[in-house]
Amino acid sequence: MSATTYLDALRRAMLEEMDRDPAVCVLGQDIAAFGGAFRATRGLYERFGRLRVVNTPLCESGALGAALGAALAGMRPVVELQFADFISCGFNQVVNNLAKTYYRWEAPVPVVLRLPYGGGVGAGPFHSQSPEAWFAHTPGLCVVAPATPRDALGMLKASIRDPNPVVFLEHRFLYRREKEELPDGEELLTPLGRARVARPGDHVTALSWGWTLHECVAAAEELARDGVSVEVIDLRTLVPLDEDAVFSAVRRTGKVLVVHEATATAGFGAELVARIADHCFEDLDGPLRRVTYPDRASPYAKSLEQSLLPGRARIAQELRRLARY
Amino acid sequence: MNEAPPLTPTLLRRAWFLARLSRAWDHRFESMARAGSIGRWYSAVGNECTTVGTALCLAPGDALSTVHRDLGAILATYLDIPRLAPEVFAPEERTAWDLRRPPPQELLHRLACQVLGRREGFTRGVDRSFHYGLLNDAWGIRHVGMISHLGAMLPVAAGLALASVQRSSGSVVLAFIGEGATSQGDFHEALNMAGVLKLPLVVVIENNRFAFTTPLEEQYACERLSSRAEGYGVAGETLDGTDLTAVVTAMERACTRARGGHGATLLECMLPRMRGHAEGDGSYELIPAEERARFLTMDPLPPLEALVKTSGAAEEPWLQRASELATTLVEAAVERALAAPEPEVREARRSMYAPGEVREASNRQASEAPR
Repeated sequence: MSATTYLDALRRAMLEEMDRDPAVCVLGQDIAAFGGAFRATRGLYERFGRLRVVNTPLCESGALGAALGAALAGMRPVVELQFADFISCGFNQVVNNLAKTYYRWEAPVPVVLRLPYGGGVGAGPFHSQSPEAWFAHTPGLCVVAPATPRDALGMLKASIRDPNPVVFLEHRFLYRREKEELPDGEELLTPLGRARVARPGDHVTALSWGWTLHECVAAAEELARDGVSVEVIDLRTLVPLDEDAVFSAVRRTGKVLVVHEATATAGFGAELVARIADHCFEDLDGPLRRVTYPDRASPYAKSLEQSLLPGRARIAQELRRLARY
Repeated sequence: MNEAPPLTPTLLRRAWFLARLSRAWDHRFESMARAGSIGRWYSAVGNECTTVGTALCLAPGDALSTVHRDLGAILATYLDIPRLAPEVFAPEERTAWDLRRPPPQELLHRLACQVLGRREGFTRGVDRSFHYGLLNDAWGIRHVGMISHLGAMLPVAAGLALASVQRSSGSVVLAFIGEGATSQGDFHEALNMAGVLKLPLVVVIENNRFAFTTPLEEQYACERLSSRAEGYGVAGETLDGTDLTAVVTAMERACTRARGGHGATLLECMLPRMRGHAEGDGSYELIPAEERARFLTMDPLPPLEALVKTSGAAEEPWLQRASELATTLVEAAVERALAAPEPEVREARRSMYAPGEVREASNRQASEAPR
């Protein structure tokens, strides 16, 4: 066993998969000798060389398009975006090229897009966003967002092995803060498309992913002291959504709170509550509620950003309100 | 550049036949577009020597990236010509690649079905005309079609070239782009990557002087687009895209450079705009009349025919027979495709995901079922 941070887990996943399959390669900015802006690829260049750990110029669209081309020629590229925010520069390659090639040509597109995303560190409007809804809205992409080191490892490995383009959202606030004992020398795979019960409970269900998942667990622990039992579900994969897990949890408690760090309007939470309304209306004992970032950009000053982030206090307040129904 | 070695008779005959096939195909679809029986047709008339000449330099396993007006390159890459036209080609003219290629009539049929949106087209009806891909290693054919966002396929072509380096396959990528799309950011990003990573990529700009209706002076302010090559650290030249010898010579040089690990080449092929952007969209009429007349005199087929004759590759009776055969073959393929079945409705709902965990999970979703 070794104490593994979320970031270590990502590195281990790439290392293991590159050892296992010579077609796996990594593309990105500053990822070779430097190891990437967050050092997620540290050591890979020395081990696998310049043909498999490829520094690109500053060209998101170019690199994302090149990943598609390389995949069509038998490679399995992992593209590291320096920040998730910058993927907008390559949006067309993602939503039109990567996402639609399989439908159009029936050619598998095994490409993973690693997106360091999320706020909490006072990084301002262009280094803090949670863009999952942009991609969840585009059929053909798989969208995943692990919250723990174990899932960061297991889901990145599963994403690399999947024959489809995967938007892999890694919460950078968790990079060095989340640490977990993981067994060495063992293959830890987390299948895509399966949610996880992060904390069992009976009265209210909280659905979340990424950083807010941990805030939900903290809020649930606070409520437990008052005798309110909150089940927290870590969706882990947004597309394809584990509807079975979501609906059965909602049917059991009848009360659901959706929590995400992305902004509210047309956020993925809206999709969740719509599907729950479609399938579980008669099982509901309370309103479908959301706790999200407000419809604002992310301000720079930490005090300003903290005032907008959907943290444990707001989550606990909403959970209490729901529990009273 | 001026001391080009003469092209072989067999290459000249094949190039001429492919150019005639491409032209016959265009004529057939232009007439359907005029009659309103197909939605849109983007004619490749005028581009034949560029498309056929460059693609005939490819080897099995090389990759081809095409846009609107590259039918000649597609035919040159796909077709076992001596098998398609045994009346005018000898069995000895079959190349090693021809022996790997599938029956040519079947590919022509699938191509016609693709363009017409029929069931037996390459995408079985889900994407239009030249937006398909055909990747078949056994056939040595690796062809990626376009998406409608012009320029977007150039990074993809660069990625195919990157994989060639990563896998040491020695393959070259030939990517076409219109001069209009050279204003896109993806053009810059792809060429810059190709320069930095020394990719085995040949980018052919088909410069027909109008992007839809936008003339050159409203597209870019440099003298020649090939001058951009210097900025990317790749080789570049501008040539007469209606001159088969010039095209083949430049392409061979580019392939040698690419296969030798010396990187990419940007070839700007100057072409006459002999048709509108799409048939009947009003763009042709916007070209000044004297320009249109001048472009018509720049048709690449008469000089190609003269070259075939003067080189002794073929004589008039052969040309006559081959020309008629090209028209007949196209006619047969189109007629068969017109009679072919419409796509099956279930194709519309086929999976967005390749088989695997994600597909299984997406199939589990209750919401997938139509309500």
